[in-house]
Amino acid sequence: MCDLLDTLLKAEKAPLHQPETKLELEPVWDKDLCARCALCYVYCPDAAISRQEDGYFSADTELCKGCGICHRECWFGAISMQEVD
Amino acid sequence: MDKYSLYAGQFLPFAEYIRGHNACKGSGTALAFRHVYKALDMTLKNKTMIAWEKCTVEQSHLSSAGIQPHVLCIPKSNDKNGNMLHVYFDAEKTDKKIDAGVLIKRMPAVAEASGYAYVATAAPSHPFDLVDKIKSAWDADGHAFIHMLCPCPETWGFDPENTVRMARIAVETRIFPLYEIAHGYYQITVDEPNTRPVQDYTKRQERFAKWKAKNVNALQEQVNINFKSLKSKASKGV
Repeated sequence: MCDLLDTLLKAEKAPLHQPETKLELEPVWDKDLCARCALCYVYCPDAAISRQEDGYFSADTELCKGCGICHRECWFGAISMQEVD
Repeated sequence: MDKYSLYAGQFLPFAEYIRGHNACKGSGTALAFRHVYKALDMTLKNKTMIAWEKCTVEQSHLSSAGIQPHVLCIPKSNDKNGNMLHVYFDAEKTDKKIDAGVLIKRMPAVAEASGYAYVATAAPSHPFDLVDKIKSAWDADGHAFIHMLCPCPETWGFDPENTVRMARIAVETRIFPLYEIAHGYYQITVDEPNTRPVQDYTKRQERFAKWKAKNVNALQEQVNINFKSLKSKASKGV
């Protein structure tokens, strides 16, 4: 069970997530398919996805847990989950 | 589908309050939490007003159902009467066997009966609906209650990538209809024209592995009855 609210509210600044295992999959954007609709941004539970200067999106690998919601929710199939080197 | 749906994400505030947390991967609670705070930012236009310290979390055990609720209570700073905004993050974590009593929500009706000025259900799969409801709850004249469905991949037993999809299916099967009750007036905010059968919800989750066809049929019947009564209340406007 995740005690998310406890963690968030007790600590002044919630600690960064430190997964036991390293990130296995990370989202990679295909800029040819991406329509910059920001759906991936809307549905990211970790607030890892942010908008870049060129209007496209990218994920912060420190915050991303590799859940794949962005990959699932992308209407255009622009996001693929690739293995981290 | 109207033309704004595609560019929907750009209409949300881009400010973030959560930078890193210990929630599980693909947690629905974390997603709902994020949107609640975005919505409050939209209303307040003042980031300092939502400090973590001001919030208190009440963790109590609803012993009969074995459910462990997470309730976020935010004092409304725009209200002089000390009214509160209660957001119930319902991840349906139960110690007992899963049954229809856990899936069919009674809390909104209970809250409405006990004098809340604004009661609503919301799910993170419909973020704009969620944001609208939080805003209305904040502006309501009296206590407000939001019942939030938060899919939990770990305890429900599905892939983390399907979190949002699972919440959407819950809405489309009408197990968790999205509606609001403002001063006793019912309104169904998301009324899907093409409903799915309840099997679509149950077959995708491991927690229903022991369910038989009769359980699913019983749930379907109960869902139909509940939605019918909800619809009649909404059409009467009472």
